[in-house]
Amino acid sequence: MRFLKSNAGGLALVAALIAFPFVLSLLTGEALNTGTPKFWQGMLAQVFILGVYALSYDLLMGVTGVLSFGHAMFFGAGAYTAGILLKYAHWGLLPVIAAVIVVTLVQSLLVGALSLRVKGVYYAMVTLAFAQMFFILAEASDFREYTGAEDGLQGIPVPAWLSPTHERLTFYFVSLAFCVCVYLIVRRIVSSPTGRVLVAIRDNEQRAQTVGFNTFAFKLIAMALSGVLAGLAGMMSALWNLSANAGMLSTGTTINALLMVIIGGAGTLSGSLLGAGFLQLVGYWLNDAFGPRWPLLFGLVYIVIVLFLPYGIIGTWRARRRQG
Amino acid sequence: MTAPTTSPTRTLPRLPRSALVGLGIGALFLLALFGRYEPKVAVSILLSGLTLGFLYFMVSAGLSLIFGLMDVLNFAHGTLFMLGAYVGLAVFNAPFLAGWSTDVRFLTALVMGGLVAGALGALTELSLIRPLYSRPIYQVLLTLGLTFVGGELIKAIWGTAGFFMPTPSFFNTQGANCPSPDLLAFFTDHCSSILILGRAFPSYRLFVIGLGLVMFLAVALLLRKTRLGIIIRAGVQDGEMVQALGINVRRVFTLVFALGAALAGIGGVAAAPIIGVNLGIGQEFLLQSFISIVIGGMGSFGGATVGALLVGLARAFGDQLVLSGVQIPFVQEVIRLSPSIARASTVIIMGIVLLIRPAGLFGKKD
Repeated sequence: MRFLKSNAGGLALVAALIAFPFVLSLLTGEALNTGTPKFWQGMLAQVFILGVYALSYDLLMGVTGVLSFGHAMFFGAGAYTAGILLKYAHWGLLPVIAAVIVVTLVQSLLVGALSLRVKGVYYAMVTLAFAQMFFILAEASDFREYTGAEDGLQGIPVPAWLSPTHERLTFYFVSLAFCVCVYLIVRRIVSSPTGRVLVAIRDNEQRAQTVGFNTFAFKLIAMALSGVLAGLAGMMSALWNLSANAGMLSTGTTINALLMVIIGGAGTLSGSLLGAGFLQLVGYWLNDAFGPRWPLLFGLVYIVIVLFLPYGIIGTWRARRRQG
Repeated sequence: MTAPTTSPTRTLPRLPRSALVGLGIGALFLLALFGRYEPKVAVSILLSGLTLGFLYFMVSAGLSLIFGLMDVLNFAHGTLFMLGAYVGLAVFNAPFLAGWSTDVRFLTALVMGGLVAGALGALTELSLIRPLYSRPIYQVLLTLGLTFVGGELIKAIWGTAGFFMPTPSFFNTQGANCPSPDLLAFFTDHCSSILILGRAFPSYRLFVIGLGLVMFLAVALLLRKTRLGIIIRAGVQDGEMVQALGINVRRVFTLVFALGAALAGIGGVAAAPIIGVNLGIGQEFLLQSFISIVIGGMGSFGGATVGALLVGLARAFGDQLVLSGVQIPFVQEVIRLSPSIARASTVIIMGIVLLIRPAGLFGKKD
């Protein structure tokens, strides 16, 4: 009961999102799997996938206070792992999910063990360098057979029941469930004893260390968790696009994560989801209004937010409410 | 007679240990190079490496100076480099300069590339970085956003296609007596390449090495011998103390930001005839100069220089290695790879340095 009461808003939102395709179909008079309803299911499915990616980044940057500029490498690694295994090894979906988890876990532990040896902006720089390495490798002509080099990995076969083109509604619900599950998991992590240590590291790493926590290990845990979640989001993204490309590993993808988290408010979790919605929907409208130049506007919005709204929408709102 | 005042600095290498490490690595590298290839090939790889290294230096020097003085890691530095290249190309091809020789146009391009990048750097520091000194993390977030905005702006102005920038005629004459037999002959015939130990080497690349050396000496002299340099070095040590002594540190910040940006902008113009002008060069040079800085150590001018040269040499050696093929023991066929692999593998060098000495060769341990 208490869970219901304290999460009324969230539950209502989930209920609304479950009803959304049907309501839209009723309102427009078009069938569920055609026209406007199908389009908006796709839009929101992308929001959910981006939301998971943003959540994973918030866990690292907002909750633990570790500023990584290489988050795209996990997103891209998830996408490429899923794509290559589905297309060339013809694996089923479940083993692919397991493989994505293993690959991104190993990747984040390796990168983390090296880059967490340095701190602050230095760490941001080192992670960016690692991400660039994966970006270059994805574009390298040596692995064209598997990665498609600069053309990207095209035509990933997605199981028929989950096909984003034919079974859009299923995909919508799967990605919604994925997003809700990850949100609950991350929230659970943050309020667990481990999560409290992560918050303590963000607030004052030296103090956490003095109290007796091995902050390196905890930061590595945060990085592994966030790396795996980002990898899963990347896998979903590959399933949605039926392709994976080097752009998924680029600095632009990392900036997207930053953008979503900062717009919503770092460390607020729900803010990341809001940021994901903002990025996807406003991006769509800007693209409509300004054509291919819209990323420039996004960059400017990002800079304005960094300058004038450091706690993001949710963060500022919470601070206001606490004062008022 | 007063006692000679020597001040320990972070901006120049603290000899001898750190320099010995750098020299040691360089010597090992030379040994590997000359052991593997005949001297004339080795020398030409060495010179290619130095060319790349000095180009990386032009980016990493500013990056490191800015970080050392004001603790701002400028992620937009690669973008300034790229902007320099684009502006340089635009000046080079500008209609109102069309009557002049390519040499004059190229010199103007170098100066303008540096000036525009420097002015933009100063403007960025004044308007965007300055309000955020109390929130250091947001400074980095901001500069990362600037790389994005800068890239998009350049895309909007110049489009996505890459450009080719010709070498000025001073380094680009074809003739009967080319390639020049030696450096002296070059100054009369201006051949596009010069024979070094009997192997032709592009003369423009020698110019880049020279330009890099001049820039290195100029910055080193600035830091060592001028009042501004003393203030910068003192600011690296303890900015608050310098301010307490009545020096306007903020103005020095802007100046150093502009200086670092100008170095990158000049680097962009100088690199353009070698690597071309396209949207990828900013990220590429940012990456390599990050690696240089990790190797050399943060906030140390000498470290940034040595790191950049080492990365350049490693790149040239790696390119040669992957092009000629790698022979792995117990495997019959030679493995041939694309240069991208050499590009990516410099990150592995960074990983090794992080494992052994996270503070870099010249960095302070903390």
